[in-house]
Amino acid sequence: MPGTETLLTPEVFDQLQEAMAADRAGFTGLYRDYLADAWRTLKLLREAARQQRKDEIRDKAHYLKSSSLVLGARMVARHAHKLEERARACELIDELLLDRIADAVTEVQAELAERLGGGVLPAGRTAA
Amino acid sequence: MTTHTTRVLIADDHPVVRVGLRNMLQADPGIRVVGEARDGVEALELARNLHPDILLLDLAMPNVAGMEALREMTAGNLDTRTIVLTGLIDKRQVLEALQLGARGVVLKDAAVEHLAECIRAVMQGQYWLEGRPVQNLVQVLRDLTTQTAPVPRKTFGLTARELEVVGLITEGCTNKDIARTFGISEETVKRHLTNIFNKLGVGNRLELALFALNHSLLPVTEGQ
Repeated sequence: MPGTETLLTPEVFDQLQEAMAADRAGFTGLYRDYLADAWRTLKLLREAARQQRKDEIRDKAHYLKSSSLVLGARMVARHAHKLEERARACELIDELLLDRIADAVTEVQAELAERLGGGVLPAGRTAA
Repeated sequence: MTTHTTRVLIADDHPVVRVGLRNMLQADPGIRVVGEARDGVEALELARNLHPDILLLDLAMPNVAGMEALREMTAGNLDTRTIVLTGLIDKRQVLEALQLGARGVVLKDAAVEHLAECIRAVMQGQYWLEGRPVQNLVQVLRDLTTQTAPVPRKTFGLTARELEVVGLITEGCTNKDIARTFGISEETVKRHLTNIFNKLGVGNRLELALFALNHSLLPVTEGQ
């Protein structure tokens, strides 16, 4: 429904949390791994974008989209999908779209920190 | 009463996706994740060795891509039923996956919500698409084929009736058959054929049939 999209799809988060109820640390670790991986992928995307390496951008964007969809980070997935499509169409990749992905990851990170505590933050990251 | 545990193999290049899916599925007492593959080659190898009931297959994987792995799975006559995981609905891709033997298609953002249910449906012999079991696969395939048909196609200036005549020629019908089918005289059929030959620059029925096949020159049917 337009206008009601949340950063983190509640149904996905809740069901996954329920499935991993016996392993709270594992659940937090899963999202921490996701965030660390998202930041790492974003860094690689920026490097690839500087040289307009479209194939690499397409693959990395797809990779980020994939985990974001499964873990319910829909806004990140949506921007990653846009990036993937642009790279597929061989369009010029500007920093703006990468900044949007970074903003979305930052916001998801803040929301996760609020729900799961500081333990979800990857090394060197803050919730702000 | 004995309950069968469904053995599942997960194939996705993303470790976070594999961990997320594994944890979610293992919460279901009727499902056991027996292996994880990072690419298409590993997926095929593990499917052959582990004989899982279900293979959850990401379509976009390194080395052997998901679609190619699916093709090899089907060719290898493995008993494993494949459920395709995808980021978005691409009808052409869904159609191809079903034609290659996939039993279900699940969107990644709906995986947590639907996957266990989908696995159960597929194990019961059903197909799964768009978040629910499919009752009539033939109808679904027909719809997908219609929706993914390339349009518009080139008609080389032939009228609708001339295209119908071409269609019957490619089926091997004689002028008499065509006349009977359309309720017209054989003379009219010959006139149609002369016009068709002139428009397409072909000299006989065989050349016409080959031209039609090479250029997908078949009559427009309902729904197209």
